[in-house]
Amino acid sequence: MSTGSKLFRFPIPLPPLPTSASVRSAGVYLAGGLFSLGFWFFLDSAIYSKKFNPYYVHVKFVDWIPGICSLLGIIVINSIDKARLSSEASFSYGGEGVAWKARLVLFMGFALLAGGFAGSIVVLILKYIVPQTPWPTLYFGISNVISNGLMMLSCVVLWISQNVEDEYSYSLAL
Amino acid sequence: MPTANPLSKIIVLASVLAAGFLLIILSCALFDNWLPLLVVGVFLLAPLPNAICEKYAANDDFMQETSGNAVIDFGRYITGILVVTGLALPFALAHSRVIGLPAMFMSIFGGLLVYGTIITFTMFFNESEEF
Repeated sequence: MSTGSKLFRFPIPLPPLPTSASVRSAGVYLAGGLFSLGFWFFLDSAIYSKKFNPYYVHVKFVDWIPGICSLLGIIVINSIDKARLSSEASFSYGGEGVAWKARLVLFMGFALLAGGFAGSIVVLILKYIVPQTPWPTLYFGISNVISNGLMMLSCVVLWISQNVEDEYSYSLAL
Repeated sequence: MPTANPLSKIIVLASVLAAGFLLIILSCALFDNWLPLLVVGVFLLAPLPNAICEKYAANDDFMQETSGNAVIDFGRYITGILVVTGLALPFALAHSRVIGLPAMFMSIFGGLLVYGTIITFTMFFNESEEF
């Protein structure tokens, strides 16, 4: 089954998205695992700071803020029904403002997610790199960046795997 | 294994489960630090969201197919979170020197054994229900 509309001028052989239910469920499991891995990277640095930190800089509430922003962004992005995004679908669902609202909320979700990632880099630079903290304490900031990056990656994997599912049901309907 | 006796399968699974519990409890008792016992709780919780969400989605199958899919996906997401939590918890504890390295390896391996037993058992059940 080939897609009808051509996007590129030259036929670029894109790898076809795997359209099977098992791949989709594996993607969802992988997304959950990535989120958990990110969360545990940060929680590990928090426990380390509480139990075994040789330096006087500790993990405080400031370090938690980017992770909270990323979590809110993930919740907002994934609670949007993706069928509402395209404007053709909004006709059938009634009310042409639905797609616009969905895009606005989705934009806020992505802004929260990107803001969390940027905020973690800000915390790393302002709290750990500029005061020149030594290595085991510098890990708190780096783990914060890794954790927020993994949360973004989890969101991307979840999005892709749900789109795989959509295509699967579409090919079933035909 | 085409013609394995179901009773022998159950016995093997039970002994593997017992070995997993043995490893985790040993990792706690040898060092007199009972924090790795949390791994058992996490891995016992891990199959629950999938079961609950599949039951729920099977109940309102006739209403909307999209909501059922979303519920199943949510259950899978939570399952992924719990499994990685069970694996990452001993790493984090060992990294902060709350538990030692041997306790970490023993609790991770024991947790994997327990979870693998639960998964194999549920697959075995589903397979036997189909026929």
